[in-house]
Amino acid sequence: MLSRVAESLFWMSRYFERAENTARFLDVNFNLLLDLNKITHVENPNYWIALILVTSDKERFNSLYESYSAHTVTDYLVFNKNNPNSIISCISLARENGRSIIESISSEMWEQVNNLYHYLQGVTPQFVHNDPYSFYKEIKNASHLFQGITDNTFSHNEGWDFIQIAKYLERTDNIARLIDVKYHMLLSEAQNQGDIIAGSEDIIQWMAVLKSCSALEAFRKVYLSKVDPDNILRFLILDRSFPRSINFSVCAAEDALWRISGSSRHRYVNNADRLIGKLEAELSYTAIEDIYAKGLHHYLEDLEQRLVKVGEQVHLTYFAYHTPEIEPLDIEEALPFTGVAGGRPNWSQAQQHQQQQ
Amino acid sequence: MSRFFDHYNAECSHFFDEVMATAGSPRHHYDKMLQRFGQFSLDDIKARREIVNIFFRNQGITFTVYGEDDGVERLFPFDLIPRIVPAHEWATIEKGLIQRITALNEFLNDIYHSQKILKDKVIPAELILGSQHFRREFVGVNPPLGIYIHVTGSDIIRDRHGNYLVLEDNLRTPSGVSYMLQNRQAMKRAFPVLFDKYKIRPIENYPQELLRTLQEIGPTSRRDPNVVVLTPGIYNSAYFEHSFLARQMGVELTEGKDLVVHNNKVYTRTTRGLEQIDVIYRRVDDAYLDPLVFLPDSKLGVAGLVNAYRKGNVTLANAIGCGVADDKVIYSFVPKIIKYYLGEDPILENVPTWLASNPDDLKYILANLSTLVVKAANESGGYGMLIGPESTIEEQEQFAEMIVAHPRNYIAQPTISLSRHPSFFNDTELWGCHIDLRPYVLYGKTVTIVPGGLTRVALKRGSLVVNSSQGGGSKDTWVVDE
Repeated sequence: MLSRVAESLFWMSRYFERAENTARFLDVNFNLLLDLNKITHVENPNYWIALILVTSDKERFNSLYESYSAHTVTDYLVFNKNNPNSIISCISLARENGRSIIESISSEMWEQVNNLYHYLQGVTPQFVHNDPYSFYKEIKNASHLFQGITDNTFSHNEGWDFIQIAKYLERTDNIARLIDVKYHMLLSEAQNQGDIIAGSEDIIQWMAVLKSCSALEAFRKVYLSKVDPDNILRFLILDRSFPRSINFSVCAAEDALWRISGSSRHRYVNNADRLIGKLEAELSYTAIEDIYAKGLHHYLEDLEQRLVKVGEQVHLTYFAYHTPEIEPLDIEEALPFTGVAGGRPNWSQAQQHQQQQ
Repeated sequence: MSRFFDHYNAECSHFFDEVMATAGSPRHHYDKMLQRFGQFSLDDIKARREIVNIFFRNQGITFTVYGEDDGVERLFPFDLIPRIVPAHEWATIEKGLIQRITALNEFLNDIYHSQKILKDKVIPAELILGSQHFRREFVGVNPPLGIYIHVTGSDIIRDRHGNYLVLEDNLRTPSGVSYMLQNRQAMKRAFPVLFDKYKIRPIENYPQELLRTLQEIGPTSRRDPNVVVLTPGIYNSAYFEHSFLARQMGVELTEGKDLVVHNNKVYTRTTRGLEQIDVIYRRVDDAYLDPLVFLPDSKLGVAGLVNAYRKGNVTLANAIGCGVADDKVIYSFVPKIIKYYLGEDPILENVPTWLASNPDDLKYILANLSTLVVKAANESGGYGMLIGPESTIEEQEQFAEMIVAHPRNYIAQPTISLSRHPSFFNDTELWGCHIDLRPYVLYGKTVTIVPGGLTRVALKRGSLVVNSSQGGGSKDTWVVDE
């Protein structure tokens, strides 16, 4: 498979997953604020700033808006084209990547990403404001449909594996960020109020975290109704069978990487395989107490950085095949949450506009 | 007869109408179509328009217009009324094109070898050697089978009397064949019953024929040649077509950065290392192919590609330097070229052409700017044109200056009243719109033309320009056996 095609599959998948995760964050935040309306109101900036922290985008946000509110944050995360991680930007980039390999993906996959793109062009902020539930549901369903279509219409070989790697790396990264931010918020509130992390609002907030990962029902089946932070963290980080847990996602990414290279347990053939294998092994033998001993925030930060390293190595191993005369691509492009990926800078646009007979 | 056609004004006294022989009496091969459309209400037409639009949008069949906002993609305008070419007329077109393409290929082979035609003074040598598309780097290079123009798309028009004339030979990277194929798919979905009433020759085998042609021209040393399509990239207006053809042929679509040359061999970069390539169906202009030989700042090409080609390790389709034969000045010599190489009279006539480089012609051109069509010799896509009857005095003066300054760059032709075909305007009424026809010719071990081609239609009222970049659309084209 052409390196460029593999790379575009990777980024198409990654941007789609990112859009879905953003929709989940926003959706749950709305619900959460409605649950909490006795003690706060929907426009409470403290609850909206968290969504900006999740995406590490505080600076860019502050350069575009003056305050944190349902309106500004939704606008930034859904519609703003200056935000490369807004839902509209992600779907445009997913589509752009898909369009550049339209001959390699199934036409059903293309139709799905193209349909969602055209749907988003017609959505107004007013529509999202009036019925956020339907809008976010539409995005989540579109993403599920895309994955289902991919699963059923696209050969499960190398290209499919690149799609899986991207999806699960992105998902792991998002879960880690979500937990980190919620934890951070709860901790600071607890300190302010001189309270411990177990008040009823806190439970509601932790439940919101679960919901944003569609994990509440699965969680209950394991831990019955014992909704306490330890169990929630245990579930979201270490559970091996829930598809939106960190451990599950890392295992899935590892499987896909190993299928491509032919690596196996105890034997790796490239650095991407080595790093993901190490991460997976550590997760498998980690208990929640180990995480606390390290400090949750540190643990998650470390995890995020290691995911970035895996992404870099995937890039170097498969996408940036280079001959001695050609410099490898700038590694920045492989980092999550940075501008346009897929190695498609604009300088060649003018030349591409050559006349056709 | 259809209510739509009741109100249709063919203006048969001014134009050659493809459907109406005289007002109110259709040509025989259109009878069944008119009957079928007679059964449709406006709502039926709207419903079918919707089917077609959804089809095109889902397929991503859009094009970009340069100079407008980034990312503005438009649906390629498609007219619901098909154009019908009876088999006996098609037979003439087919024979004429085979003759013309064979002669033009002989001409290129000669120009890049012994240049007999120049020595015999059939064509003034300065016109060839001074052409910006003449590539002296390729004199003496032998492409496999001696073929230069593997894929061509000549533009054919009909004059006031219905004669088929060749307007232009596109020998470099002709586009539009994907629209031909997709138009057919769209029509089958929207008008299955009408389809069944005609014996329409199929065109769906074009991608297979193209692949066969490309495999036939591979380097002789390699069995089972590895074919790729080379595109400038997703921002090119014909990108959809490049990816469509790659997908239909089942070959890789590559950009310049996917290819690399080692030891005069061309490889693709894959996730598993390098893989050798034998044939490149390139949709990138000569000038951008190789920064070492042509434009040094080209980001679209592959360094070393031209040397690999000269070594015979890879075949380019079409060959480098074909533009020298589809220049609008050389066009005027094609009848002589046919006579010179084949000893035959042309089956398809040219449009009369005056060359500004010829002093007598120049005088005539300058005196008649208001009635002639002036074209830049090397432009394509309807750019750089003056349509005399529609131009202002200022535009004429501006062109006069440019022509006098660079006579080699300009030719003039009479304003031909292209034939007209009823087409739906806003899907409510029919207008006669000017059309042309671009059949696609494949040249491998044999010459193959799939029956039909792309009928382009000027969907602006009265407009003569059919290019998509200038607001033109297209129609499905049926070659039918009577």
